[in-house]
Amino acid sequence: MSYIEIRDLDFSYNGKKKVLESINLQVEKGEWIACLGHNGSGKSTLAKALVGLLEPELGEIEIDGLLLTEETAYEIRKKIGIVFQNPDNQFVGVTVRDDIAFGMENLCVPREEMIEKIDFYAKKVNMLDFLDKEPTNLSGGQKQQVAIAGILAMQSEIIIFDEATSMLDPFSREELIKYIRTLHKEGLTIIMITHDINEALLADKILVLNKGKIEAFEETEKIMKKREVFVESRLELPIALDLANALESNGNATKIRKKLWEYALTK
Amino acid sequence: MKSVIIGQYIPGKGLFYRLDPRTKIIAVLLIMIAVFLLESITHLLIGFGIAFMLLIIGRISVIKVIKGLKPIMILLIFTFIFQIILNREGEMIVNHEMYLTLYTALFLVLAFVVWRVLVKFTRFRFTMFFLFVAGVYLILRYVDFGYQLLSPFNFQVYEAGLRMSAFVVIRLLIIITLSTVLTLTTKPTNLTQGLEKLMHPLKKIGFNSEDFALIISISLRYIPTIFDEANKIMLAQASRGADFSEGKLKDKLKQVISLLVPMFIIAFMRSEELANAMESRNFVPGNKRTRINELIFSYRDVIATAFSVLVLALAIVLKVI
Repeated sequence: MSYIEIRDLDFSYNGKKKVLESINLQVEKGEWIACLGHNGSGKSTLAKALVGLLEPELGEIEIDGLLLTEETAYEIRKKIGIVFQNPDNQFVGVTVRDDIAFGMENLCVPREEMIEKIDFYAKKVNMLDFLDKEPTNLSGGQKQQVAIAGILAMQSEIIIFDEATSMLDPFSREELIKYIRTLHKEGLTIIMITHDINEALLADKILVLNKGKIEAFEETEKIMKKREVFVESRLELPIALDLANALESNGNATKIRKKLWEYALTK
Repeated sequence: MKSVIIGQYIPGKGLFYRLDPRTKIIAVLLIMIAVFLLESITHLLIGFGIAFMLLIIGRISVIKVIKGLKPIMILLIFTFIFQIILNREGEMIVNHEMYLTLYTALFLVLAFVVWRVLVKFTRFRFTMFFLFVAGVYLILRYVDFGYQLLSPFNFQVYEAGLRMSAFVVIRLLIIITLSTVLTLTTKPTNLTQGLEKLMHPLKKIGFNSEDFALIISISLRYIPTIFDEANKIMLAQASRGADFSEGKLKDKLKQVISLLVPMFIIAFMRSEELANAMESRNFVPGNKRTRINELIFSYRDVIATAFSVLVLALAIVLKVI
């Protein structure tokens, strides 16, 4: 039995077009999964289904041996937290302190314990000096850090990042990625939904979704060799993959130089 | 838009800042009731003196309270004038003959123009207004030459009129001073929390004060964000040629609508995402929650509440006697 098990999951918003179709997925504890896919491929829908925000049409989701139903959603959300794309739309509290506390308040954590945990986790995400600040005085990256602290304070073991870096400036983005790496090292299970192939390369495994179906789900190194997966799913090709292909085909230096030049131009 | 101030709260230290918001709300309510029970000018003036003393004890800048009074100044002035002119009970105190001649009319127009010009170029709007009213009175009273447009009439002030107008004005002044102290020294979030706790007993009749307080505090939290959004949309529309400052009323209305529609759509989308974020963090409406911000009722609050109860008791005693 895996840590996260998704069995034959189907989902549609209006009963007509399927957004997710026969999804079968196993994630082990402590794994870092990157989920890639073009717009409308069902990435975010999958994330929302995992935390029980959307009810699947068919199929089951099991997390740490607990089947996700309306009754168990509360228990499951203790284990799994989600950081959304827009840093502003998930900041519930009036101050950083209030926001980190929000989840714990819902879990009825005693006040003294909350104060301790807020200090601990705020320090962890480098927000200790900002506890009394209001969200308008924070950058997007800082708001995402606060969201992470709020989830960690609920003692979650799985964190889903639903395109959490896409609205950040390059610096904040790098900081956040660095932080996700630390969380992964500490043993948290991470599911990172992203558009950015270079972010995905950091993960242990990559899940490619295409039109609601799983196109591929393999170790990052293995999937990197499969050009057709990326082409099929209309994804940007990782430069390493392109270069390797160019080298393998005939080792022509001009061709490699051309590829690198193209890469430099697009970045 | 980092400087959007919500409410009138000004950070500071002092007695009133350290009081529990519940105490402040209750005290303001009790004293308001007391103020309405008082029936003599002397008592009211004493009340006003006490309110003023509270300002000094709380080390609250009087200027800030006066600024808080500004929006209702006009209301105060009009009630005062109407009471004086229309109330005709009791002894007559003032009986002045007034004239309206061609010259009077001319002077009145002149006074009006001077007033408007001065208002435009100086900062003392209220002083100018008072000077204007005084000027009108003097012109009507003493410019008695020239062709009579109306036969002379009497400006009469009766004792009851004067008393009633003083009553209304002092009462309003006390009440507004007190509520300004409340809003100056209490953070909006603490104010909602105080209201939440005070309205908690209403749960029995199906009113969930916790949800109500959460709604208010989230609204407060999102006001600056939504302002930001409005700014962005206005800039985006201005960059495509929309002009928010000029044009006819009809055009302006159209522009406001073109701003409101996207604002509403964005707000709805935002609220859905926010609901998702809250739900994913295990928020269930109506469930029991612990709170990080606990209100603490200390000995100061006991004293303050006792004081306001005392004021009310005194007012009741005075009323009965």
